[in-house]
Amino acid sequence: MTNSKTRTKRMSVIAGISVVVLLISACSIQIKSEPDPSIPDDTMLIAADKGSPMFEKIFNPYLFNKRIAASYIYEPLTAVNVLDGTQTPWLAEKVALTDARTIDYTIRRGVTWSDGEKFTPDDVAFTFNLIKKYPTLDIKGAWQHIESVETDGDHVIVHLKDDDAPAADVISLTLIVPEHIWKDVEHPDTWRDEDPVGTGPFTLGNFSSQQYTLDKNQNYWQADKVQIQHLVLPAATSELDIVTKGFDWAYSFMSNVEGTWGAANPDNKNWFPPGGVISLVPNLDKAPWDNVDLRRGIALALDKDKIADAATEEYMSKAGQTGLMLPNQKSELNPEIPNSGVIEQNTDAALASLAKAGYTLVNGTLVDANGKPFTFSVTTANGYTDWLRAIQEVRKQLSAIGIDVTIKQPQPAGYQQAIQNGDYEVAMGGMGGGNVFQAYNSLLSSEFHVKNGELAPSNFERYSDPQTDALLAEYKATIDPAKQLEISHQLQQIVYDQLPVIGLYYGGLWGLYNTSKFTGWPTAEDPYAPPQTYDSSPLLIFTKLKLATKDGE
Amino acid sequence: MAFVLRKIGLFLLTLWAAVTLNFLLPRMMPGSPTDAAIAKLAQNGPVTDATRKAIEAQLGVPDGNIFEQYLGYLHQVITLDFGVSYTFYPQSVSEMIWQAFPYTVILVGFVTIIAFVLGTLIGVLTAWKRNTWLDALPTLTGSFASTFPYFWTALLLLFFAGYVFHLFPTSGAFGPTASPAMTWEFFVDVLYHAALPALTILITSLGGWIIGMRNAMINTLGDDYVTFAEANGLKGRTVAIRYAARNAILPNLTGFGLALGGVVGGSVLVEQVFGYPGIGYLLFNAVIGQDYPLMQALFLMITVSVLIANFLVDIMYGVLDPRTRR
Repeated sequence: MTNSKTRTKRMSVIAGISVVVLLISACSIQIKSEPDPSIPDDTMLIAADKGSPMFEKIFNPYLFNKRIAASYIYEPLTAVNVLDGTQTPWLAEKVALTDARTIDYTIRRGVTWSDGEKFTPDDVAFTFNLIKKYPTLDIKGAWQHIESVETDGDHVIVHLKDDDAPAADVISLTLIVPEHIWKDVEHPDTWRDEDPVGTGPFTLGNFSSQQYTLDKNQNYWQADKVQIQHLVLPAATSELDIVTKGFDWAYSFMSNVEGTWGAANPDNKNWFPPGGVISLVPNLDKAPWDNVDLRRGIALALDKDKIADAATEEYMSKAGQTGLMLPNQKSELNPEIPNSGVIEQNTDAALASLAKAGYTLVNGTLVDANGKPFTFSVTTANGYTDWLRAIQEVRKQLSAIGIDVTIKQPQPAGYQQAIQNGDYEVAMGGMGGGNVFQAYNSLLSSEFHVKNGELAPSNFERYSDPQTDALLAEYKATIDPAKQLEISHQLQQIVYDQLPVIGLYYGGLWGLYNTSKFTGWPTAEDPYAPPQTYDSSPLLIFTKLKLATKDGE
Repeated sequence: MAFVLRKIGLFLLTLWAAVTLNFLLPRMMPGSPTDAAIAKLAQNGPVTDATRKAIEAQLGVPDGNIFEQYLGYLHQVITLDFGVSYTFYPQSVSEMIWQAFPYTVILVGFVTIIAFVLGTLIGVLTAWKRNTWLDALPTLTGSFASTFPYFWTALLLLFFAGYVFHLFPTSGAFGPTASPAMTWEFFVDVLYHAALPALTILITSLGGWIIGMRNAMINTLGDDYVTFAEANGLKGRTVAIRYAARNAILPNLTGFGLALGGVVGGSVLVEQVFGYPGIGYLLFNAVIGQDYPLMQALFLMITVSVLIANFLVDIMYGVLDPRTRR
């Protein structure tokens, strides 16, 4: 008996030591990137599409479950750089607004489908009529704006329902499909399109449920600009995979990016431009948040630098109250708004504004007129860790002026339901991003305003103001860029003064790329496209990248 | 016979309750399938009202009041047609399940049986040779390993064996360029990919079987009939296996029934860590995406298989232990 006890003891000691050794060795292990040597220099390994955990073969570009690469195969009329809203003519050679309710697309000649058929204006008209006939395919909502579509030689004329000039930006993004194939599809709304035929830079190569490849479309209309010969998209794109498997391009937030992605390979680079303003979204239909002095008081009480640092590990900076993304949208900024729209922390001013709203600091607690302590809850989605860290910082800072903040974290679906139905006091949310008009319209238009308990499509904070509505209508009616800018300035002023939402920091677009095989990536100096692997950005990037080995030419 | 009939009646009643709960539970979660899809899209930028409507229309989100939905659901259960999945639209639920089912049954099912047989045998051995190194070594390592949570063992194995030493693939059920076929190469590839997840399950579950069997065995070994058998001069192995183990195995058998039923549910955590395309991963996706049709079908499969496994164990108990037949 004694014998076995000593043995037991000895063995637990050994086990304990081995665990400690294991942990120590784990700490000192530096993960290195080890690219698969069988991947040639003209082939890009890209972490764009995540399997769940396998890939389903769906290339129908209008299904929300499509494979990401469907947008490398099908192309829109114009490609947009969502960083500053610049449109690059794509399948349309020219987009002109005849007036505020007529868009005239001059369709590019000399484009062919990947099966050799000629691309024509009829394909464009067919596409629009297809997504009209099957509204479930109209994923961007083009027919909310369109009255009718007609072709005229090389032109496709889109008539709008109303004065609605900014609608062109939405309509132009429609991905165009070939009439000669899609006209025979019986149920395009459930069709998987396993053999996609598009006009884009790539065609589908091998497909397996864990990896697929795309090959360069040799007949591409910009074939001379595309130097990448093949793309490889694996289904396994966890952070460890991205760091260790030698990816050339990935889109992913990575904690301590220099120490992980950056340290794995000397050519690993990252660029995180702003993609939207992460904000506190107060429920304006719920007292006391209808009071602008309260909202301003809260905005003044917050140190947004600290919030940005806490939420994004110092990768992103604090955001202004205009909803614009700086520096990319700098040309849009109203010069009369002080400090580029950033509301700096000023506790005295905050307390003064809160006092105006009827709240005073008594014994370190902020109380209302009846002496009741002021508390509120912030709703965020479970698992959005940057948002959670931001709220925790907000809670810390507000407790310094006697406000007790509680945090609610339902699952993403529950969060979505809460903000849509107005079932919250203050929520985390985004504003801005992409097209300036669309951003302000969805944020402010009372067209989307509904009471709490009813489902709001956007304008979750439930803002409604006739003067703002008039400005938005005026914007829709003009095709003069100078006039649009002037209205944009006024809208910025409104968001700055009224604080329908309280801007905190920029949400990032998490671009990771490697320069050993390909050069010409978008950077802060040359922000021609955001580094995202979805929507139309990849088209802009694929036509710009050069093979590193060809640099000397 | 009355024993079997009584068990069948109980089985049917439990089945109905499980089926009904299975319908109600997903609907008590906040948010709708459309909300889940939009929350996913919203991470890539603002989602317009039009997109919402398009997604709603694509999914054909539940219509009719809750009672009508229940009747429709019962009809689905009887006809085994669970409609179209929301998260994997436009694929049908049965299609998704048939894809995932073989992987989980082979991986988890096979390993569970191995762990049970191996664990029980080792348990018998440790009890018979108790207080020797043959007892201490398996008991200690077993209890040590089984205190690790599944995902922790899984992560350690994945990181070291997969990413650091490149001994095994890090995800998937087969190689990226392989395509499922009835060939020897593919079979080997599948085994290679199943190695780490299988090892995880084996490491964490083996200890339980060993200790359970050992304890039951030690109790039985103290019983009079064992002493009597020994006194009669029967061989040691005969006493251990035919007399002691047959009685000691009963509690382990119950556990085995439960475990076997749980196989269909897969090992959510293990499959998640290793990106293994089985039922567990599918279930995770279904819950995240508020995919009612898929969730209902999966939970139904899981509950029914647990119920059936228990039913079979009940019947088996009757065979092994005549006392329970009364």
